[in-house]
Amino acid sequence: MAGLVAIALRCYPARWRHRHGDEAAELAALLIGDGTPAWSIACSYLAGAARAWLTPRSGRRFSAAAVALAITVCSVSVSAGLVASAAPARAASDRPSQAHGPARCRPGDGTPGVSPAIGRPRAFLWEAGHDRSC
Amino acid sequence: MSSRDGQDILRRVGEASVLILISLADGSKHGYALIQDIKEIAGVELGPGTLYGALDRLERLGLIESLPADDRRHPYRITAPGAAALRVHLDSLERVSAAGRLRLRLGGI
Repeated sequence: MAGLVAIALRCYPARWRHRHGDEAAELAALLIGDGTPAWSIACSYLAGAARAWLTPRSGRRFSAAAVALAITVCSVSVSAGLVASAAPARAASDRPSQAHGPARCRPGDGTPGVSPAIGRPRAFLWEAGHDRSC
Repeated sequence: MSSRDGQDILRRVGEASVLILISLADGSKHGYALIQDIKEIAGVELGPGTLYGALDRLERLGLIESLPADDRRHPYRITAPGAAALRVHLDSLERVSAAGRLRLRLGGI
């Protein structure tokens, strides 16, 4: 279980480990000796490591800004990707109802008891042809 | 950093930092002693990650300082600005506490 604590301590930035690493390991050993669960100590150190990475230091303002920018770009990219992947499938499911009329899309078409739009991935519907994707 | 003009700079540092300053007010201590002392005086069990985060923050603010390592342990000591800031914060807490007790009395609760 002490291995968990060692792994958590390795998550800290090097400057922190250099400063507090030995002491933190010794403190963990003392707390484990007192009966504190190792996983609880490891969790506390993991949370501390996250804070240590995210806390801006003097001279590291750019890094903090870069991390914030990277998180923003990732969020926007994932959202854009989800929207882009949903759009063709939506177009596919809209088109046949205009081309062939609503009769082909009424419930009960296809396998009884199974909705084709739910039972198959949207990407597959797009490739398989528009007339089957109700 | 100091508590100039009676400004309570500890208002936003978090409970752990205030408890550490209170614990260090009667003398220097290292991490394990701080955890034990805070558990005794406040009934709060600080996690070691929380402890080191708060120690780093307080040291950056100049409210505590690290003493030369004793074996592998670094004792920490409260600084003069740290003691002043703690005094201001405790005064503020006392005023709020007194106001709260008065209102409870007036409200008859």
